[in-house]
Amino acid sequence: MNYVPGTASLIDDIDKKHLVLLRDGRTLIGFLRSIDQFANLVFHQTVERIHVGKKFGDIPRGIFIVRGENVVLLGEMDMDKPCDAVLQQVSIEEILEEQRLQQQAKQETEKVKMQVLKDRGLSIPKADNLDEY
Amino acid sequence: MGYSLCSCVHYIPRFVLTCFLCLLQDSPLMSIIKEVGLPKQPHPLRGEDPRDLSERVLPPRSTSPVIGSPPVRAVPIGTPPKQPMSLNHQIHHPTAVHVRAPLQHRYPPPFPDRLSPNTLLNLANNPMCRGPFPPGVGPVLSQLQRAQMLNSQVRFPRGVGPPPMLPGGGGFRPFFGGPPPPPHHRMPPPPLHGPPIYHTTHLHPQHRRMLTQRMQSRPMGYAGVGLDRRSRDPYSNLMTQREKEWVAKIQMMQLQSTDPYLDDYYYQNYYEKLEKRQERERDSSKKEHTTRLITPQVAKVEHTYRPVQFAGSLGKLTVSSVNNPRKMIDAVVTSRSDDEEKREKQVWNKRRQILYTVEKMYSSLLEVQDFEKRFVHAAEEERGALLERHKTHTETLCTLLTHTEQAGRVSDEQCVTIMSVRKGKRLISRLLPFLPAQQAAAVVMAIARNLPALAKKDKQDQVLCWLVEPVAVVIQSLSSAALTDLLQEIQGREGNLASVLQNKLGVTLLYLVLSEGDRMQSSDPNCQLMDDNRWTELVFSVARELLAAPSSTLAPPLFTPPNLLGLFARYVDRQSLEQLQEKLQ
Repeated sequence: MNYVPGTASLIDDIDKKHLVLLRDGRTLIGFLRSIDQFANLVFHQTVERIHVGKKFGDIPRGIFIVRGENVVLLGEMDMDKPCDAVLQQVSIEEILEEQRLQQQAKQETEKVKMQVLKDRGLSIPKADNLDEY
Repeated sequence: MGYSLCSCVHYIPRFVLTCFLCLLQDSPLMSIIKEVGLPKQPHPLRGEDPRDLSERVLPPRSTSPVIGSPPVRAVPIGTPPKQPMSLNHQIHHPTAVHVRAPLQHRYPPPFPDRLSPNTLLNLANNPMCRGPFPPGVGPVLSQLQRAQMLNSQVRFPRGVGPPPMLPGGGGFRPFFGGPPPPPHHRMPPPPLHGPPIYHTTHLHPQHRRMLTQRMQSRPMGYAGVGLDRRSRDPYSNLMTQREKEWVAKIQMMQLQSTDPYLDDYYYQNYYEKLEKRQERERDSSKKEHTTRLITPQVAKVEHTYRPVQFAGSLGKLTVSSVNNPRKMIDAVVTSRSDDEEKREKQVWNKRRQILYTVEKMYSSLLEVQDFEKRFVHAAEEERGALLERHKTHTETLCTLLTHTEQAGRVSDEQCVTIMSVRKGKRLISRLLPFLPAQQAAAVVMAIARNLPALAKKDKQDQVLCWLVEPVAVVIQSLSSAALTDLLQEIQGREGNLASVLQNKLGVTLLYLVLSEGDRMQSSDPNCQLMDDNRWTELVFSVARELLAAPSSTLAPPLFTPPNLLGLFARYVDRQSLEQLQEKLQ
């Protein structure tokens, strides 16, 4: 039952399991318990899920209050669908290690790229200098 | 002194106060009370009800109605609703203590313009809240217990239940002591039949129809499954019905609009297009389906603030309140005189200035673009005024664009500087259709003249191609003399066609001009294109350049007009023609 027909509202999503992607890149999964007019969210039995390649790890976090402006995406999770179809769950230590390795590799490639460009006299300008929108 | 007593009375129910006073007839406390005033009674539920946020009320502010400070709210605007007990309280003792300065010119709007969510809820739920309990008694359940009660009571397949109602009966007894009451003890509020459509008169009638269809067709089995799962969840319904409604009411308040075209542009346009499409598809016999848009309920009330004036006094009061704030700090901009920094800043300042000009022009352009739509909707009397405004806007655009340095000498410098910015190029492409013919031609000339410079500046953006379409339209309306001039400009002063050919826009423009010339020649026998030899010479030189330029440097045009080969066939020999054909492909 939509309280405000014709609009999008989070009221129908209350007490359902959700996945939220935050602006800092974290992925949280939990039961959405409460909202307000700014779309601040209260999550219950929250779990932070870290994905690296095909593996993922869950870190239990408890109760989360997310300020509305930091939400990128929010979606309901289907309880019936199994999540291990493609992905493989691993322990927390393992996934954190994997994440650290991934970050390291990314930094290395970035460094190499910048060096190569510098040698050729090119530079990719930073995003905030480009567009005036 | 008397004022503070009144404010205390506001918080305590009157009968309690009178009882209290009667009991203390002869007590020495009485004299103190009469002198000082009653202390504020602590709220009876403070310990047991931690979510009762509106008790954290600010102390009564000194608000003078004469000065014009805004009315005191018992609760700050953002607080969620309280429990039903205090809801009754608020209904019986409305916050009407404050007296505003009389504003005779203000007509009461049809829908109160500054409704807080709490008052909205009060209005909506008033008939439903005369529950079985007398005023002054509140629920003793904590939030979790209430949620649990709701969980165990959820049995029927309807949507989320109505506001929590305690079981009836004479006294009030804590719920969890006894067995769960059978479902028929609950009193579902009568107006809630099926999916309610709230106060959404601002919805387009088509939209509402679609919504009701959708809601009816949705299978109720899905809701049953969800509810079953939710009933096993001990933490569900932490957010009460009233709170959900409160959030929903806030969201609906945000939808109230005085200018739907400004606030909800895409919604309005979408439904207009839908309507038009349906009009086209359906025949005229079914005309009753097409309805007009309902105008919003909220009237646009002009709030003009007039500073307070005492009758018969000299001068005006300068009292600052929220409605007329006073300037406290005089902020002065001082620029640092570091030389190197200055130069760097100058570059940025120039860019910012260009952007500022572009923004100003955009606001005029948007007005011009919306003119047609407004014209259609406006009443007869207003059309004259609208037309005038339209003209002034167009003129502003023209003057901003040309920006003559000295009177009489039109420079295309402004045009070029605007186009050095990506946003400026977009602006010009949108602006061109609205300019008068002469001005548009001048702009196109400016583009042609400065093509190499523009191409260089555009390397990063690559958006010059936006200009092709509007420029093509302008070219087609040019006279033959102008066309020849344009061709000459494209060629440049030293005939450096080569650089033009390397740029996509340049090539496309060139082809467009040539094809237009050819079309003019073939269609119009009185055409003056061939009167002087300029055109022929120019075409010869173009052909020569095209032949000379290696295919690799030739930029692919956005589209090749079909009559180019025919044009060239008249000027060059067969061999060259074949070469040209290859190049043009």
